[in-house]
Amino acid sequence: MATALNVRVNYVDATHTYSGHTSDYITMDLVNDYFIWSKTLADLMTHEPTSDELNAAAEIIDPALAVTVAKCLLMDYSHDVGGSYYTHLIQGMGLNNQYVYCFSFDGATATEPQLEAWDTSAHTTHAKNVLGIATPANSMIKGVCTTAALPGFPWAGTALAGASNVLLLNAALGALTIAKDLYSNLKIVIPAAYTTPAAETFVLTVRYTYV
Amino acid sequence: MNKPLFQIVFEDNTNFNGGDYQKTKWLEISTDKKIRTLFYLLPTGDYIGLGGYERFYHMVECTKDVTGDKAGIQNLEFDYIIGQKKDYTTIYQIDMKTGCINVKDIKNDDEFLKKLNPNFWR
Repeated sequence: MATALNVRVNYVDATHTYSGHTSDYITMDLVNDYFIWSKTLADLMTHEPTSDELNAAAEIIDPALAVTVAKCLLMDYSHDVGGSYYTHLIQGMGLNNQYVYCFSFDGATATEPQLEAWDTSAHTTHAKNVLGIATPANSMIKGVCTTAALPGFPWAGTALAGASNVLLLNAALGALTIAKDLYSNLKIVIPAAYTTPAAETFVLTVRYTYV
Repeated sequence: MNKPLFQIVFEDNTNFNGGDYQKTKWLEISTDKKIRTLFYLLPTGDYIGLGGYERFYHMVECTKDVTGDKAGIQNLEFDYIIGQKKDYTTIYQIDMKTGCINVKDIKNDDEFLKKLNPNFWR
């Protein structure tokens, strides 16, 4: 069968691997679950956050300093983890933590899997503000592969946008020869005095190969 | 009945048929036999016939969105059939969305080939 991918997030302890502590992770239902990047949105909400709540909790552009969005939460549509909670704070996001976002492959691949960021699911453009307005190096989405090591702190990461600025997920070690859990850390950094406030969506996608 | 993804004729005149994009059967191809001719299915329903190569490689490139309106769906992006001769390698890259085929010859020590999982050559 084709190699399958599951995406998981750590909501308990970002020093724990998935294989060692499966209960620390939520496996995303990618069709219904989604990420919320926010300054103050609460963990463990008992309803899906409304637009008003999201706007009230949004990150604020700083006139003098670049701002890292404070939180990434998983919006868990099934709300069946640890109680009836819709939001779960993803642990270690943007920090010196290794096991934050987990990409589990159930078999070998022909090439090294990579994480990409695009405007839409067509994977053809990266013109949004958050993606650097077609200049990949200016993308606000930063990623670092943590499969092999801690990212350090502070970590700059790779600005993710389009086909040129991607994140290899196996620490540049190449194709997967067996099933393996790969890890990354991600963050969104808004430049100081950025002149275009916006609420934008973007598409993160994993590109991989199988035989 | 769906056409097999590929049809192989070995040097000993025996045959092997592949499966589909979800279960290609590529790894079920015998490593003890040399492939004489490989017919690979194109999006048009026709087959491209490849012969005269020392060995072949195949892979399917896909994406799976983590966020967005099509998150969770495995999208087939490109299909590769690669034939290697003594001095060079030919890559047939099939765009699964447009059906276009991009053909490129590269040297056998090209970085592209070094990054491939070596276990999948047949």
